[in-house]
Amino acid sequence: MRCNYACGSHDSLSRRSFLGGTAAGALSMLGFQGMTQATAAKQLAAQQKQVVVFWLSGGVSQLETWDPKPGTETGGPFLSIPTSAPGVHISELLPYTAQQMHHLALVRGINTKENDHGKGAYIMQTGRKEQPGFAFPYLGSTFSHHLAPPNSPLPGYISVGAGGSSAESTFLGPRHAPLVLSGGRAPNNLGRHDALSEERDLLRRKLRSQVSQRFEQKRKTAHTEVYNESFDQAAALMSRSDIFDFSKFSDKDLERYGKHDFGRHCLMARQLVEKGVTFVKVGHTNYDTHSENFNFHIEQLGEFDRPFATFISDLYDRGLLEHTLIICMCEFGRTPRINSRIGRDHWGSAWSIALGGAGIKGGAVSGKTNETGTKVIDREVNGGHLFHTYYQAVGLDSTEEFYPNGQPIAKADPKTEPIKEILA
Amino acid sequence: MFRPNMRVYVSLLIVFSCPTLAPHLVCANSTTKADEPLVASKPTLPVARRISSLIDEQIQNGTKDYAKLASPVCSDGEFVRRVYLDLTGRIPSVTQTRAFLDDNHPDKRAALVDQLLETPEYARHISQRLDVMLMERLRKKYINVTLWEEYLRDAVAENKPLDQLVREILAADGSGKGQQAEARFYLARDGDVNELTRDISRIFLGANLTCAQCHDHPDVAEWKQDHYYGISAFLVRSFVFTDKKKNQTVFAEKAEGEVKFESVFEVRDKTSKGPETTLPVVFNGPKVAEPAFKKGEEYNVKPAKDVRPIPKYSRRAQLGDALTSSQNRRFARTMANRLWAMVMGRGIVHPLDADHSDNPPSHPELLELLTDEFIASGYDLKWYLRELVLSKTYQRSSSNELFASKSDQELSDAQFAHAILKPLTPEQFSRSVLEATGQAEVYRQSLKDKLSEAALRKNLVGYERQFVSLFGGLPGEPVEGFETTADQILYLSNNGSIQGILSPRNGNTADRVLKIPADQPEQIAGELYLSVLNRRPDATETQEVAELLAGKTGAARNDMVIDLVWALMMSSEFRFNH
Repeated sequence: MRCNYACGSHDSLSRRSFLGGTAAGALSMLGFQGMTQATAAKQLAAQQKQVVVFWLSGGVSQLETWDPKPGTETGGPFLSIPTSAPGVHISELLPYTAQQMHHLALVRGINTKENDHGKGAYIMQTGRKEQPGFAFPYLGSTFSHHLAPPNSPLPGYISVGAGGSSAESTFLGPRHAPLVLSGGRAPNNLGRHDALSEERDLLRRKLRSQVSQRFEQKRKTAHTEVYNESFDQAAALMSRSDIFDFSKFSDKDLERYGKHDFGRHCLMARQLVEKGVTFVKVGHTNYDTHSENFNFHIEQLGEFDRPFATFISDLYDRGLLEHTLIICMCEFGRTPRINSRIGRDHWGSAWSIALGGAGIKGGAVSGKTNETGTKVIDREVNGGHLFHTYYQAVGLDSTEEFYPNGQPIAKADPKTEPIKEILA
Repeated sequence: MFRPNMRVYVSLLIVFSCPTLAPHLVCANSTTKADEPLVASKPTLPVARRISSLIDEQIQNGTKDYAKLASPVCSDGEFVRRVYLDLTGRIPSVTQTRAFLDDNHPDKRAALVDQLLETPEYARHISQRLDVMLMERLRKKYINVTLWEEYLRDAVAENKPLDQLVREILAADGSGKGQQAEARFYLARDGDVNELTRDISRIFLGANLTCAQCHDHPDVAEWKQDHYYGISAFLVRSFVFTDKKKNQTVFAEKAEGEVKFESVFEVRDKTSKGPETTLPVVFNGPKVAEPAFKKGEEYNVKPAKDVRPIPKYSRRAQLGDALTSSQNRRFARTMANRLWAMVMGRGIVHPLDADHSDNPPSHPELLELLTDEFIASGYDLKWYLRELVLSKTYQRSSSNELFASKSDQELSDAQFAHAILKPLTPEQFSRSVLEATGQAEVYRQSLKDKLSEAALRKNLVGYERQFVSLFGGLPGEPVEGFETTADQILYLSNNGSIQGILSPRNGNTADRVLKIPADQPEQIAGELYLSVLNRRPDATETQEVAELLAGKTGAARNDMVIDLVWALMMSSEFRFNH
């Protein structure tokens, strides 16, 4: 799809003239680095809200996680257990998470009416149904746009083990596209080449920008802007390569989080949050359990539970949970009916997510499904409600419009409203 | 250039194919020898109709005020770069650039086009574009990728009609000795019927029918579930079979098997009539009827354990003919549109796989004309590309004074009133970086008498692979729009293999620039700009180079030249085919 972000708007023009010629981007970066660690940390704590999404791709079963129905025909073999939040029970597959429940809220009344992976993922990450001809940005890009400090050298949206495409940011432009740490590694080629001094590097970039600017004077520039901004982004990354140094985790931490990819990715996410990255997405996969649903969930949630719980408790201990919103979600839930292969299929009409941290009332539960989990019977919500809730949790007015490309865009679906009962 | 007899050949072509042109030649540096000419031995351009001017008429008729909005015809510098990139996959060398700019003949553009269409690099480049179109960078599975690449390259070199190429690919099951490469289309997709149905309709029919797998397409009224399963029905009996004795994997077929489908919406509504079925059919064409056999007589080789069955009648064998038959204009139309988009930067129907009535072509009559003429030419790739690049539409500048004052609507790309910026493909980008730094020239010199396209590519392919892996997008996904990531920039900025080819080395760009005396800044700036951006610098640019180098000697001068080459090469002007 053609990139049509910010074409010809005043916003983009001023940003271009700002970046052009003087390598101002690079200079402002140096300014930020010059700040003392303490001041920077203080500022972050004072103003900056952060968001971490755990994306359980394939569609985790709500019945084996947040909305168990033990003893019913659809409930499957697992029991439910009490949690640190009085009265709230979740599946016995999440014993560690149960101990953090006082930090988390559950939304059990989701009906997105969508059983297709791609379309479900779109609804959950944009708050809207797909519509032809207009692409909303994904929430990583949206929150990078709203929350990341304007001159921050840090990328606003980093994806760890969850994939991501630079198309996610749509009209918000490449500055808010995900930086994908593929294979959970720091980006390659992050260090300046030995032959180059910092001074030479700056000069080369300045020259590059001048030549480009001359070329762009009489041309359509949607593509070239994307290209130019990626040079600024690369320079910013180089100036903050410390956030990608993942070599210093203690043995104890590695032990606590588990010696598998997901455990390590959670540790990386913790570091990225500590260093001030606005939005982090962490992926855990293999939940599309059309067969052997229960064995798969024992395995997958067995891996997920402890690092997820440890992450929440670490963020709380470090005082970061106060300003960090945590969302644990996926594209849809799974059918209450157990199919002939002992699997569960796609189910968007009655399922749950968990969220916690900044702006969220720990231990709160919204929505209810019937006894067998086939229908929402109280407080039905969809992607729009969830987006209002995310916005308000981080202190933004979700009922406003914003003007990323000169046109008004509703932050969240105006036909819906926030789930107030779980907001702190 | 690699062919010693180029001149003779080119003049023949010009005499035969364009009587209006004087037999004028561009004197490129055709001094090297080829050990394996890749070009067919007889001229393949038929005496075909010229349609360049018809293209321009239709484009101009398509927009009110076209004359006022249109960019001027591009400069020679823009043209030489653009046409080399589009026909050979790289920017011209500094020598080729100079030769073209210095040539004063009025017909030099047509002559250059004819010359480039006969180079081995044309065959390599166009076959790579076809490869990406057909395979979408799927990785190796069962079939040797080099064999496949060679098959495509030979096909383009001999100018095999495009419909014939597609028929060969869709007929191949990989069992015959000579046609293993062709079977890659099926086998790289592991014979998956749904994946193949989706890709065949997207690539060859301009219709992304993915949604029609489960129900009639929700957004496109005319795309039905029957269309999807009509294509599937050709493939439903086929499966991937590994012959353990021969250690060979082929796309085998059974004599039975039908598609069955029902809308998931109907199931949910409980109004379902039950599963439907269809005979093989390409869109709204005739259903392919099939012979009936007595029970037990359906096979030449009956299915058994570890034996590849061979049915008397193959459904799949009908697919290529049905798809490319004259009754199915969708194929010709889609191909004409895809090739147009490849050269012009945007389809007349756009997106390329959304050809339906709610998404009409920007220039309906033109698309009809192109379809008719492409069929009439016998699906002649070379003729078609030649007509496109000789049109004024192709030769408009990408620069337009009006960009600052007119709205996006008024200067929409869909009007083709200006050249659209096309991001270089990974292959074009890597080749052009190697040409701009002079690294390709270093290799050419080291190969000397052994120089051929194939030998040169062997030296360059390592770089090409790095670019493809970073810039090539996800396997199995169509290339759409322009994406750029910080990873790519970090590679271009910091990676040793890029830094390494910038340093002065006998005959490369930095070396040539450094050899020009310091008191000749105009020559220095000229050499730099001609080498990297294929044009002469203007006064400001010359001044800038002079100031940057003023007073610098030794290592400092060295570094500055390297940095200039890098900066020019990383500019937007270089990154896009403009």
